[in-house]
Amino acid sequence: MHIPDGYLSPSTCAALAAAAAPFWYVALRRVKSALHARLIPLISLFAAFSFVVMMFNLPLPGGTTGHAVGMGVASIVLGPWASILAISIALTIQAVFFGDGGITALGANCFNMAIAGSLVGYAMYRLIAWRAALGSTRRVVAAGLAGYTAINVAALCAAVEFGIQPLLFHDASGTPLYAPYPLRIAIPAMMLGHLTLAGLAELVISSGMVAYLQRTDPGLLRQTAPDAPAFSEPVRSPRDARPLPTARKLWLGLAALLVLTPLGILAVGGAWGEWNAQDFSDPQARREIAAASRNQAPPTAAPRGLERLSSLWTAPLSRYAPSFIRSASFGYLVSAMVGVGLIVALALLLNWLLALRPPAAGRLRRKGFVEKTARGLVEATGQALFAEDMAVAGGFLQGLDPRVKLIGIGALIAAAVTVHRLGVLAGILALGVVLALFSHIPMRLLAARVWLAVLAFTGAIALPAIFLTPGAAIWRIPWLAWPVTQQGLRSAGFLILRGETAATLSALLILSTLWTRLLRALRYFRAPVVLVAILGMTYRYMFLFLAAARDMFESRESRMVGELRPADRRRLAAASAGVLLGKTLQVSGEVHMAMQARGFRGEIRLLDELQMRANDWLRLAAFVGAATLAIWLGR
Amino acid sequence: MTELAFDVRDVDYRYNQVAALNALSMCVKRGERVALLGANGSGKSTLLRLLAGLCFPDRGEISFLGESLTEQRLQQEEFFFAFRRRVGLVFQNADVQLFNTSVFDELAFGPLQLRWPAGKIRARVAEVLESMDIAHLQDRAPHRLSGGEKKRVALASVLVLDPEVLLLDEPSAALDPSSQARIVDFLVSCGKGAKTVIVATHDMDTLEDIADRCYVFANGKVAGAGTPLEILHDVELLERAKLIHPHAHVHRHGEGAVQPHPHVHRHEGD
Repeated sequence: MHIPDGYLSPSTCAALAAAAAPFWYVALRRVKSALHARLIPLISLFAAFSFVVMMFNLPLPGGTTGHAVGMGVASIVLGPWASILAISIALTIQAVFFGDGGITALGANCFNMAIAGSLVGYAMYRLIAWRAALGSTRRVVAAGLAGYTAINVAALCAAVEFGIQPLLFHDASGTPLYAPYPLRIAIPAMMLGHLTLAGLAELVISSGMVAYLQRTDPGLLRQTAPDAPAFSEPVRSPRDARPLPTARKLWLGLAALLVLTPLGILAVGGAWGEWNAQDFSDPQARREIAAASRNQAPPTAAPRGLERLSSLWTAPLSRYAPSFIRSASFGYLVSAMVGVGLIVALALLLNWLLALRPPAAGRLRRKGFVEKTARGLVEATGQALFAEDMAVAGGFLQGLDPRVKLIGIGALIAAAVTVHRLGVLAGILALGVVLALFSHIPMRLLAARVWLAVLAFTGAIALPAIFLTPGAAIWRIPWLAWPVTQQGLRSAGFLILRGETAATLSALLILSTLWTRLLRALRYFRAPVVLVAILGMTYRYMFLFLAAARDMFESRESRMVGELRPADRRRLAAASAGVLLGKTLQVSGEVHMAMQARGFRGEIRLLDELQMRANDWLRLAAFVGAATLAIWLGR
Repeated sequence: MTELAFDVRDVDYRYNQVAALNALSMCVKRGERVALLGANGSGKSTLLRLLAGLCFPDRGEISFLGESLTEQRLQQEEFFFAFRRRVGLVFQNADVQLFNTSVFDELAFGPLQLRWPAGKIRARVAEVLESMDIAHLQDRAPHRLSGGEKKRVALASVLVLDPEVLLLDEPSAALDPSSQARIVDFLVSCGKGAKTVIVATHDMDTLEDIADRCYVFANGKVAGAGTPLEILHDVELLERAKLIHPHAHVHRHGEGAVQPHPHVHRHEGD
C-alpha cells in the first residue's frame, strides 16, 4: 500500500502531490485559525498514535494477521480535515524516518491513504451511522465498514496509478519505465490483498476502537456525530452479550460490501481497460498518448499481454459461456470473487493444519500476535534510536548541513526516478555506495536492511513482468512456452534498480541526519511553522507511544496463561489500540495546557535558524549538479 | 511585602461531572513558599491549573495580585503575556511539558511565544542551561533524557522566563535520591522572598526545608493549614488526609519530633 520510489513516474508523483496540495492547504488553514489551537497537539499526537497502531499485528479470521493504517478511526475521531493532516504526517514520518514508502511517492501515498481514505471513510461512517445513538451497535458497524471502504478506495487509487504507468511511460522499444502492469492486472492484483487481509485489519481496528470508545469515553465520538442522541439505552457492561450481534451485523455488512465492491472495480477497471484498447488503434488518441509520454511513439499494436491476461481469467468458461461472460469485465468480477474465495480457503486450510500440531506449538502460536507486536514495537524504537546514534557519529554525510543533505539526496532520488537508462541508474547507485563508505555506514547493514529487503519485495513484483510485458521474445520457458521478452526483462530491471537506488539513498539520509536539527533548519525554506511544529511534535511523541504500547503488550504477554479465542484476540488488539487512543487524547490535552502555560496563543513561533554558509552552498551545488548530470545522461 | 499573590475564594470546579474542588478558599502572599499537601486525587493539580489560568472555576473567584483572573481577562493579549511572564507552571508529567524536539528548543519556546528578540533569547537560554547544569544536553531530544534530566529541563523551560510565581506539581515524585536532592536544593534557594513558590507534594521529609506554610487538601477542600511543624505534628489531620498510614509514617527525632503515640505494631527499638 505504501508506494515505494521508482514505481511511479516523476510526473505522476508531481500530479498527485499537486492534487493533494489544496486539501493540505485547506486543512492547514483550519488548524491555523485561533479557534482550533487545540488541534495542533491533537493532530501531532494522533499522527504519532496512528504510526504506532500501524505496527499492531491484528489477528484475522483464519489465523493470519494484518496491519491497519488507521484512517478510518482518525476520520471518525478527528473529522476528515484533521484526519488528512494526521495521516499525512504519519506517512511522512514513515517515509523519511523509517524508509517505508517512497520520498518522491509521498504525495501519491498521502493522496491515496490520507486524503481519499479519510474523506471516503468519513462519508461512509456518517452515511451508515446516520443519526444512530452514540452508544449504538450501528455506529460500531458503520466504523468497521468505513475503515474497510477507506482502505480499499485507497488501494484502488494506488492500483489505478500503477496501471496507467505502462501506458504513459515507456521507451521507444515499448519497455515500461515504471510499474509495468496495465490496469487489467494492477487492479485485481492490488484489490485481492486489500479486499481480504488489509481491509479486514482496518475493519477490526475501526469497529473495535469505536466499541471501546463507546464504553470508555463516548464524548470523543460526539464531534463527528453532532445530531446523535447520547444513548438510546442504558450503558451495558463490557462483557455483555453485545459482541455477538455486533459481529454478526458486521459480517453481514461486509458480505454486502464484498458483493458490491467487485462491481465497482468492474466499472472503473472496465472503463479504463476500454480506453486502453481503443487508444492504441485510434490515431487521435495515439497522438495524445505520444504527447503525454514525451513524444515517443506508443507501440502500434494493443499490448498483447493485456489480452492474454483477460483471456486467462475467462479461459475455463469460454467454450460454453454466453458472450457477456467472456468479456474482460466479467473476468475481473470472477477473478475478484475467485481470489477472495481462494485466500479464505487457503487461510482455513492453514488454520486446520496448524491445529493438528502438538498442543505446545499451538499455544505458542496463539500467543503469537501479542509477542509479534511487542517485538515489532521494540524493533521500531531500536531502529530509530540506532539511526540517531549513527547520525551523531563522524562521517562525510553526517558533517553536512541537514538542509544540504535533504535537498542533495532528494535530488539524487529524483534523478534515480527520472532516468531512462539502466547504466546511469547503476551509476547513481554506485554514488550512493561511495557516500555510504565515506560516512562509515556499514555495508552489511545496507545489504541486509535495504538491498535484500527491496530485492525480495520489488523482485517478487517485477518477476511476472518478464513474461507479461508484450515485446520481442528472446527465450521461451520449456513446457510452458511462456515468452521472456526483452522489454519485460528491461522493465523488471528498471523497477528493481530504481527501487534499490532510491531505498539506498533514503537509508543514507535516515542514517546520517539528526532530525531535531533538520526540523529546525527547515524553517529556512519557509516551511509553514505549523507544519514544522506538528512534524516535530509527532516525532517526539512517537517514542512515548511506542514505549507505552510496548509496555502494554509486554505486561499482557506476562499475564497470559490460557488460550484466547480468535474473537478475544481481536478484541484485545482493538482494546489495546483504544487504551493507547485514550492516552493519546489525554496527553494531547495536557500538552496543549503546557503550551498555553508558556505563552502559546494558537500561533507557534520558532527561532529562525542561521544562514547557510558559502561552503554549504558549494556542496549543495555539487549534489544538484550530479543529479542534473545523471538526468541529462539518462534522458 | 504582605500583598497577596493569589487569593482563592470559595471556588468550585468540576471535571467531567465529578467535583474536583469544593468551595475551596486559600491565599498565598507574595514571596511566600506554600506547600499543598494531599493524597492523589485530592485536588492539588486542579488547583495549580486554576492558579496558572489554564482552567477557570465554575463558581467563586481567583485573583492574582488583586486582579481577577478570568477567561475573558486572559483573552486580552497584554494581560495574557504579562501573566504568562510572571507565573510559571511545572507539570507533574515531564513528558507533557517537553513537547519540543530538542532541549534548546524547549527552553526557547516560552521566550519565543512572548516575542522576545532572538539575541536576547539565545543569551537567556544559554544562561539558564548553564545555571541548571544542563548545557551538555542542549541538542538532545527529550526521548533520550533520563527521568531526572527531563525534570530539570522542564524546570529550566519555566525558569527561562524568570517568573515571579512558580507553581510546581510534585516536582520530586518518582525521581532517584540525587535528582530529588537537586530539586529540593533549588526550592530551598527560592526562600527568603526571592520567589513566590507553590508546590504540590506528598513528600513529608523535606517539607520544613521547602515551605513556609502548608495547606492540607482532602476531597477538594482545605482540611487544614499551618506551618510545616504544626502540620507534621497533627497526626490526626495527616491520617484523615491519607498522607500517612498508621503502619508507615516518618518518625522525626530531635527538635520537633512527633509526640509519642500508640502503634498497632511494634517498631524496632520501641
